[in-house]
Amino acid sequence: MAPSLTRREALGGALASAVLASCGGGDPPPSTGPKPGSGAALLGSLLALERAAIAAFGDCAEQLNGPARENVRAIQDQERGHARRLEELVRGLGGEAPPGHTAEEYARSFPRLESAEDALRFAEDLKEREVRAYLEALAELPSLELRTQASRICVDEGNHLGAIRALRGLPTAQGPFVTGAL
Amino acid sequence: MARRSDLELLEDLLARENRLLSAYEAALRRDAIDPAVGEMLRDHEREHVRALEQTLAGYARNPRAGVAPPELNAALRSRQSFGRYAIALEGETVAAYTEAAAAIGRPGLRQPLGSIMCCGAAHAVALRQSLGERSFVP
Repeated sequence: MAPSLTRREALGGALASAVLASCGGGDPPPSTGPKPGSGAALLGSLLALERAAIAAFGDCAEQLNGPARENVRAIQDQERGHARRLEELVRGLGGEAPPGHTAEEYARSFPRLESAEDALRFAEDLKEREVRAYLEALAELPSLELRTQASRICVDEGNHLGAIRALRGLPTAQGPFVTGAL
Repeated sequence: MARRSDLELLEDLLARENRLLSAYEAALRRDAIDPAVGEMLRDHEREHVRALEQTLAGYARNPRAGVAPPELNAALRSRQSFGRYAIALEGETVAAYTEAAAAIGRPGLRQPLGSIMCCGAAHAVALRQSLGERSFVP
């Protein structure tokens, strides 16, 4: 049987494309400043993910009304704050944050969202990926200071994921361990 | 402040999880929380306690005595007051995980502690929702 692509996989694939496009291809390579193993490259990947998410949440908000729209806009605002913090961290390590893409360039790589349900499902998928990325960063970032910053952002991401699940009418946490287990 | 050992960090988290577990159990007994929400939160806390105890089994432990905070009784008077109390307690616990997930010496524990931390953040959303708040993002 030919493998089929679920809608969720398609949505996730779109995000991955957008992030990959942010990390390489048209973007200039990162500056030569940071030392290997400093964590700057990982922070750059997180920054690319945040920027794609900022654009994606703008698209999602267009499909929503009332409290759902307000919550998604609030999430988008916090994502902007995360991106600024990551840019500062990259600069603090002697690096230079890549410029990213325009909203239109990001939008071209996202799936077409035709309803509030589409938008919230896409938003949940985005958030799961962001939570996972920050949890992985916690294990990999080399210094306590960088891990503390990642941990603080990760809390916001967990809150956002819970909020989006609540807007979808789902339990706010999928289970006792948002990903993985002790 | 001196950096805390892994054992101290984990014992602190366990004490906080036990406090949350006791609070949700009491709230369910006293009808101070919506049963569906309370049961979900209680069950998650049980799993967190179990997982931390399992992790601590490998250490020479120095368990802390658990004492119910005096504010709990006052909070149990209504669903509204318990909701506010539980949001604050979840917030303090999430803050403790934020520190522990970054500071713990065993890298293999950082991700799972972060995973519980995110669950705590989602619990606060459930509590805000049960209080009828429109905004879930603090």
